[in-house]
Amino acid sequence: MYATTYVKATDVADAASRLDAADDGKLLAGGMTLLPTLKQRLANPDCLVDLAGCDLGGISDDGDSIRIGAMTRHVDVANAPVVQKAIPAVAHLAGHIGDRQVRNRGTIGGSVANNDPSACYPSAVLALGGTVHTQNRSIAADEFFTGMFDTALDEDEIITAISLPKPEKAGYVKFPNPASRYAMVGVFVAKFADGVRVAVTGAGEDGVFRATDIEAALDADFSVGAIDKVSISADGLMSDIHASADYRAHLIAEMARRAVTACG
Amino acid sequence: PMIVHGQVHGGIGQGVGQALLENAHYDDNGQLLTASYMDYCMPRADDLPSMQVDCLVTACTHNDLGVKGCGEAGAIASPPALINAVIDALTPFGVTDLSMPATPEKVWRAIQDAQAKAAE
Repeated sequence: MYATTYVKATDVADAASRLDAADDGKLLAGGMTLLPTLKQRLANPDCLVDLAGCDLGGISDDGDSIRIGAMTRHVDVANAPVVQKAIPAVAHLAGHIGDRQVRNRGTIGGSVANNDPSACYPSAVLALGGTVHTQNRSIAADEFFTGMFDTALDEDEIITAISLPKPEKAGYVKFPNPASRYAMVGVFVAKFADGVRVAVTGAGEDGVFRATDIEAALDADFSVGAIDKVSISADGLMSDIHASADYRAHLIAEMARRAVTACG
Repeated sequence: PMIVHGQVHGGIGQGVGQALLENAHYDDNGQLLTASYMDYCMPRADDLPSMQVDCLVTACTHNDLGVKGCGEAGAIASPPALINAVIDALTPFGVTDLSMPATPEKVWRAIQDAQAKAAE
């Protein structure tokens, strides 16, 4: 890696001002993506602002939703009784990110801010119609994920927490890339009283997206069979050495069927 | 002996990697695309089942100690065993050949191609 400066912010305001003072500063959450990137010299920030001391962890029950602090690690989301009870699909998702080492360091805020097109969390936040809270404002999931590795966050804007509404039921199933264990395709299905929301990660050229055709089919008939009637186009899907666009289209339907089954 | 069982376990693991997972993928310019373990899939413990190894002990007749190597046995036998099993499973679709590694997409595509051919 290149030489850089490390600072441990004392709170969110301190982190924002440190970031603002740097030429090309980066926020450090769990570091599970950023640190490998630095090691490979793919990034060269002049300042790393560590959020570990900003008291951004913790999970609370807000009645109709659960609120997860940005620095909450995957392992803590997976093991939290409140998450397991209210949205077991999110506990399951968090418990299957990467490997044990990654889950012990990686955070929900880091994952959502990075918006890796193959990350698991963006699909949950989008399918559940979640809200991303920053030090300045609250952003609806439908407005937050704006493209591959791209979000509605302004420069120097820091995610403080994520709110996830409690669905009637939800399910998440991914087809992991055998090598990296990232989602080659992951589908999150969430059923609310006013309709079904379905988000797909790992597949879209523009990152996570809502599968509106599947949503319409499940709105009419919430069953595995309903997905058989949906024709999923390979247009706009990623094609790489691990999976072609048409195979990903096939996997979207299959993972959606399994996610509906996982809803119970 | 435990060392023989361990050697066979490792050999089978290597064979599973070759048959199902490991793929050195180059682009048209000869650049290796699977240059890290994020892309190149080495077999890991959870890719393998529990194994029970049985030995049929026959002494080697070509040396005074009667010993022979055992490390390669698992690595040599497991790829044909796996690929034959895959082909056997795909026989109803009319698939008769598949190159290693038999990745999920390759198996899926073989089925798609065979069904398209059958529909002609």
